[in-house]
Order: sequence, then C-alpha cells, then structure tokens
Amino acid sequence: MLLINNNNGAFLQSNQYSVKVFETTVVDEVKFKEFFDTNYLLFKDHLIVIQGKLSSSIKDYLEKKKLHYLHDVSLPKGRSRKALEEELKVLHTESKVNEQIAQAEVEKLSSRLQNNLTVLDEMIRSGRELNINGDLLLLSRVNSGATIKTTGNLIITQVVEGSIRCYGNFMMLTASPKANIVFHDVEVDNGLLADRLNRVELKNNEIIITPVLKKEINWA
Amino acid sequence: MGIVIAVISGKGGVGKTTATANLGLGIAINEKKCVVVDFDIGQRNLDMILGLENRVVYDMVQVMEGEASLKQALIKSKVNENLHFLAASQTRDKSVLDSDKVQKLVAELKEEFDFVILDAPAGIESGYEHTIEFADAAIVVVNPEVSSIRDADRAIGILDSKSFKVKNGEEVAKYLIINRIVADMVESGEMLRSEDILEILNIKLLGKVPEDKGVIDASNQGKPVVLDKKSIAGQAYMRIAGRLCGKKVDMKNIEVSDDGLFKKLAGIFK
Repeated sequence: MLLINNNNGAFLQSNQYSVKVFETTVVDEVKFKEFFDTNYLLFKDHLIVIQGKLSSSIKDYLEKKKLHYLHDVSLPKGRSRKALEEELKVLHTESKVNEQIAQAEVEKLSSRLQNNLTVLDEMIRSGRELNINGDLLLLSRVNSGATIKTTGNLIITQVVEGSIRCYGNFMMLTASPKANIVFHDVEVDNGLLADRLNRVELKNNEIIITPVLKKEINWA
Repeated sequence: MGIVIAVISGKGGVGKTTATANLGLGIAINEKKCVVVDFDIGQRNLDMILGLENRVVYDMVQVMEGEASLKQALIKSKVNENLHFLAASQTRDKSVLDSDKVQKLVAELKEEFDFVILDAPAGIESGYEHTIEFADAAIVVVNPEVSSIRDADRAIGILDSKSFKVKNGEEVAKYLIINRIVADMVESGEMLRSEDILEILNIKLLGKVPEDKGVIDASNQGKPVVLDKKSIAGQAYMRIAGRLCGKKVDMKNIEVSDDGLFKKLAGIFK
C-alpha cells in the first residue's frame, strides 16, 4: 500500500497490483461460453478484457461465473522496434505537414497585411509619380500634382493634396480635402475622412471609412 | 571660389528676373563681386531691367561657342562696379545649350566672382535643366497663389533629381522668396499665408517681398528697385541680399498691414 502525502498529511490511499490479463473478442457466443467452461480454472484469477461487441447474455454469463472483466479498454502493448520506428516516421511527417500548413496560413495572412513594405520619409512633390508594387508607408506629405499608385496597402501619415490609387486591402489616411482618392477604381469622397487617421477598406463591395484614433495624434 | 545660385520659379511672371536683378545689385552694394547671367535664351529680359540693353555686344552663347572671350562679353554696371552682367542670346534658342559648355562657363565665372546668379527661364524644359545643373544653391521665387506654388514644387522636384550635385550624393540648398505679398489680402484670407507655403514646399525661407507698384516703373526705366530707398520692395530685396552676404537680418513681418495698425491706434484715441 502506498500513501501519497502533501503538506497537510495523507490524502490518497492506493494499492498497486500486477494482474494477468486475457484479452479477447467475442466471435461466436456459444463457442465463447464453451471455451470459458472448459478453461474456467485457468481464467478465474485473470482479468478478462473484451474488445468489440459485448452482448448482455455474455455479460450475464461472465457475472454468473464471477469472472472479472472489462469492456473496450486499450492496454499498453509491446511493439517491435520496427513498428515503433514506423510510427515515429508517420508522426514526423505529420508534424512536418502541419508545419507547412501553418506556414502557408501565415503567408496567406501576411500577404493580406504586408507585401514588400516600402517605407518612405520624403515629400512627394508635384509631377512625381510613384508606382509601388506592394505596400507603402509614407511619413511625409503628398503635394498637389503628384500621383501615388500601390498594388498593396497604403498608409500616409500626412496631408495628401495629389492623387492616390490603391489596390490593397486597406488605406490609412488623414483628412485630405484637396486629394483625389481612388480605391479599387472607386472614387472616395474625401469629405468622409475625419480629422485624424482613417481606415478605408472594401467590405462586401462597399467602401467603409472608419476613423481610427479618438484623439488627434502628433507624429513628430 | 564663388557660389552659383540659380533663381527658379517654374511658373512665369512671378518676378524671377526682377528678383535676380535686385539681388545682384543688392549683393554688389554689400561689396561682393557678383555676376548675373541671363539663361533665358531667346527671350532675354534681364538686360532691360538692369538698364544695360544698349551695351550688349557679345552674349553667353557666343562665349560658349568660342566666338568671344568671357572678358569681352561681361558687362560692368555703371551703377555699381561690383555688378557684372552676361546676356543671353536673343536670336538663338535653348537647344544650343549643352552640359559640357554650361559646366565650363559656370566654372570660369565661379573663379572670378563671389556670387554667380543664374536667371532661369520659366518652365521645366531643357533650358531650365541646364540652369540648375551646376548650381550650388537655388532661390525659388513664388507668388502667394496656388498655381505658382504647384509649379515651384515641380521645379524643386526636378532640381532634386537632375542637379549635378544631387547626382553626386550632395544636397542643393534651396531658399524661398515669397514675392508680391499684399498684407490686406493675407489678413482677409484671400492670399496664401507664408506658413502654408512653407509647409507645402518644405524649404528654408529667405525673405518676403511685398507688392509694390514702383517695381514696374523701375523695370521700365532699367533702375532696379533696390536703388530706391523708399520702396518697400527695394528694402525687402536689400534685406535678402544682406542675408545672402552672411549678415544677420531679422525677418520682417510684412503680412500685417500698416494701416491696420493705424486704424487700431485711431480706435484707441476715439
């Protein structure tokens, strides 16, 4: 008998036994009963484990004979080294596949959030045309007569007076009453841009403009 | 070794040539050796504004093509001996300019003078590009109106991409002159405020010049307005010339009208 203690004294009493287990499945009920009748002496101290189907008549029979039994339990089994290696290999490839799936998911997500991010901190003067393949983070103003086109997302932290064309998932813009803003070939009414950073995105073929920050922010 | 300053604007008619003439004379009055060069080939005006039109014998193109020496073509002003002038050709056009010739001419002028001021043509064509190509600094002249600001912005953009200095990884200094400011109109909001202009163009302010009716008459007579001590535009150009010569001259706020102050004072005594 074993006593397991914590600081407050014994809280669990346990005993350990080693028993012989006879594992079987019922194929023919009559033959099953005949087998246990003839070998009763051999099995009366065994723990019998029935895997699969267990009918009530067999249950009754086992109880009447006072045989100890369990139904549908998985027992630890000995395996050959080869089988073990085989199983490890399967597990390994499984984890690899899972890893690849996870990576693909991350890539899918990041392709939505950020692809080839370009960060620029220079004034875009009149007459300049920027064609950005991917995302653009611009930390300066866009002057009247300048054009910016991005295939990805566009974030501009200062006033825009030129025109912008964005084909990404979203744009972030401050209030820009003089700008010409086209998002996925649809002209955005710049009167809807509040005097702070706004998120412009396409949801179910509708352009949604959401002011992002409650307070005006100072980027300096 | 002098400094080469290009006077640019993008848009025409904002007062580039007037500014060039007045700054040239202003610098000369500050006792620095100065040459003003008219780069508006085919449409020269600077000679008239400086009052030197009857003294032009050889022009810049003839110097570049070796038909005349630089000494022969340089005209010394009678008003101030520190001021020299090199005329543009009136008969040729902009296509005669090429980078090597311009570079050689500018280098020669730089050896001899403290200030080399190049009057750029309006627009952003090849003539403009050659003017700014070898400049160390640029003075951008604008009027307080949107079209002038946008054209100046474009001209600055070209300066930042085509200048020889920028191509070699250096920076061209850029200074702003806001010309023809009418205080009343700024106060009433009809004219752009200089803070707004500076925010858009993002370059250093060199000076503000008020609108002055005397400028037209001065140009017609060939006597730059800096010579008139009473002229408010002339005073403004003298302050700018002083700054260019390294003097510390405070920025005068000309965007507040004087009669506004008078009215306020009159109001007190009522």
